[in-house]
Amino acid sequence: MSLEPFNRLVKLAARAFYDDITMKGDNQPKTGRGDNRGIAVVVLDALTRRQWVREEDLAKALKLHSKQLRRILRFFEEEKFVTRDHRKESAKGAKIFSAAVAAAAGDGRGKEGEEKVKLHTHSYCCLDYAQIYDVVRYRIHKMKKKLKDELDSRNTVQTYICPNCAKRYSAFDALQLISYTDDLFHCERCDGELVAESDKLAADEMGEGDDNRSRRREKLKDLLQRIEEQLKPVTIQIARVKDLPVPDFGTLQQWEVRASAAGWRGYGEIDPNDANKSSQGYGGTPMPSLGDTKVEVDLGGGVKEEVQSEGKPTKAKVLPPWMIKKGMVLTKEQRGETSLDAEATTQETTIDDKKQADLKDDDKSLMDEYTKAYYAAYYAKIQEEEGGRQSVKQEEFGVSASDQDELFGTQETSSHRQVGMKSKRRNAEASYKLAADLNMEAKESEEEEEDNIDWEDG
Amino acid sequence: MFFHIVLERKIQLHPRYFGPHLREKLVSKLMKEVEGTCSGRHGFVVAITGVEDIGKGLIREGTGFVTFPVKYQCVVFRPFKGEILEAVVTMVNKMGFFAEAGPVQIFVSNHLIPDDMEYQAGDMPNYTTSDGSVKIQKDSEVRLKIMGTRVDATEIFCIGTIKDDFLGVISDPGAAS
Ligand SMILES: [Zn+2]
Repeated sequence: MSLEPFNRLVKLAARAFYDDITMKGDNQPKTGRGDNRGIAVVVLDALTRRQWVREEDLAKALKLHSKQLRRILRFFEEEKFVTRDHRKESAKGAKIFSAAVAAAAGDGRGKEGEEKVKLHTHSYCCLDYAQIYDVVRYRIHKMKKKLKDELDSRNTVQTYICPNCAKRYSAFDALQLISYTDDLFHCERCDGELVAESDKLAADEMGEGDDNRSRRREKLKDLLQRIEEQLKPVTIQIARVKDLPVPDFGTLQQWEVRASAAGWRGYGEIDPNDANKSSQGYGGTPMPSLGDTKVEVDLGGGVKEEVQSEGKPTKAKVLPPWMIKKGMVLTKEQRGETSLDAEATTQETTIDDKKQADLKDDDKSLMDEYTKAYYAAYYAKIQEEEGGRQSVKQEEFGVSASDQDELFGTQETSSHRQVGMKSKRRNAEASYKLAADLNMEAKESEEEEEDNIDWEDG
Repeated sequence: MFFHIVLERKIQLHPRYFGPHLREKLVSKLMKEVEGTCSGRHGFVVAITGVEDIGKGLIREGTGFVTFPVKYQCVVFRPFKGEILEAVVTMVNKMGFFAEAGPVQIFVSNHLIPDDMEYQAGDMPNYTTSDGSVKIQKDSEVRLKIMGTRVDATEIFCIGTIKDDFLGVISDPGAAS
């Protein structure tokens, strides 16, 4: 379950297909900006950094009106990008979610839990990566097919013409035209044998029209070529993602159970490092927005220090069989990696050994889930390193790494645009600016981190 | 596409049938008159599945015939643009081929036959790929897509294409039942 490539796909697709989507509505944002293009991209980007998120919280984080956000999310629900879940929430239900969020943020206390209790319907949303992958592929396929069909004039109805009296017939008349003497088409008026119009006759019959047609073909070809060219980043990313397991957060309920379990599990180990963590630019506030990746990688980061301080051997730890089964490929890859990675594996082993001891009675499936999640995060990291994105701050692990990744992602996207989508570039810039504006107003620490990105970008 | 719908029709009955089996006679006459016909609006009436209601008969002056309004349920078949059908080839010529899917006649013109299939004249005119592996001739079964329908009051005629993925001769012997 590697998130990063899929998130990248989402971001690319957002910029390719949704950056000039306007959300029309009666109540425009109060800023008076009539043009809210790019909002869709901002929302999708925000969702790539989150798992299941309560829509109110997302609206707050993005400084959007919740109605406006809902309109966008409904749009993406129709586009099959987003799954949503609505439920009438008792105080308890809200608590569960907040607790899950807090747990996912590595904060076992769940401060928000008590404050956010409300007694009406809440909506939650989450990216549906499996569907996004299919939908984007289908969309590209449809676009190309439409043009190709038109190029091959597949959708046109064949016309037939009488060489004697120039009367025209269409393929719909075929049944009446057929002659039972020679199985060919004959003119109803003069019984001459009909010829398909696209054959040589067409040329002199309609000189100007033909010229039109060839010009049209040129245009279609040009369009097709531009599609290929401009969607290249997306198609490349699709190909890259093809054989990867699709990240799936499950339904809201499943996710809650899992997130809170994982959080609780990490609680004891991580808590001492909490302050340290926030100083890494993570932000102390537990946000409902913290992605799986970040959480788990952070887990590794936190524990690493602990392990080192305890002076345990960091290498030559035998992997337990369940681990080898799950992460075989990864382990191999990582053999050739930096020593940092090797350490990470062994840390993982120690964590789990410890945990197995600590929590013997715990559910086995939870353990598996946790391992999976860890590997997802870990794999993402490896990939990132393979991409040659060596970062100075790598010691800081997932948080900063993924931030940087975000940055890289955006920059790369914009450079793709410069190659392929000159005409669209302005839109893209506009949306970046918009994002930056939004972020300027933002006070929460999460937004600050976005801020940096956007400033560098714009 | 098939639909199960309710239609209404006026059936005229000769006075000699007025007796204990009037209803049966009415229904059998309805079947004879309706099944197999085609209306542009509803498509081909494939089968009557039930009679919902028979209204009061009206005696026609002078003849003694009585007209009954009959509401009946029936299965109709109406081809649509874009629909995929399986059909049997009935005739091949150099302009293309004709095929039938039940009551519907479909014409596939040669520019909607894949480019790698060439027309071969002869006793059994056919379209064949250069390697001879695929051949369309009379009685071949093909899967085609409706490109357009021409609907008259009493007739539906379609043009189709086999120039697309998964269209063409149905080679799988299991599928060709
Ligand atoms: Zn003529």
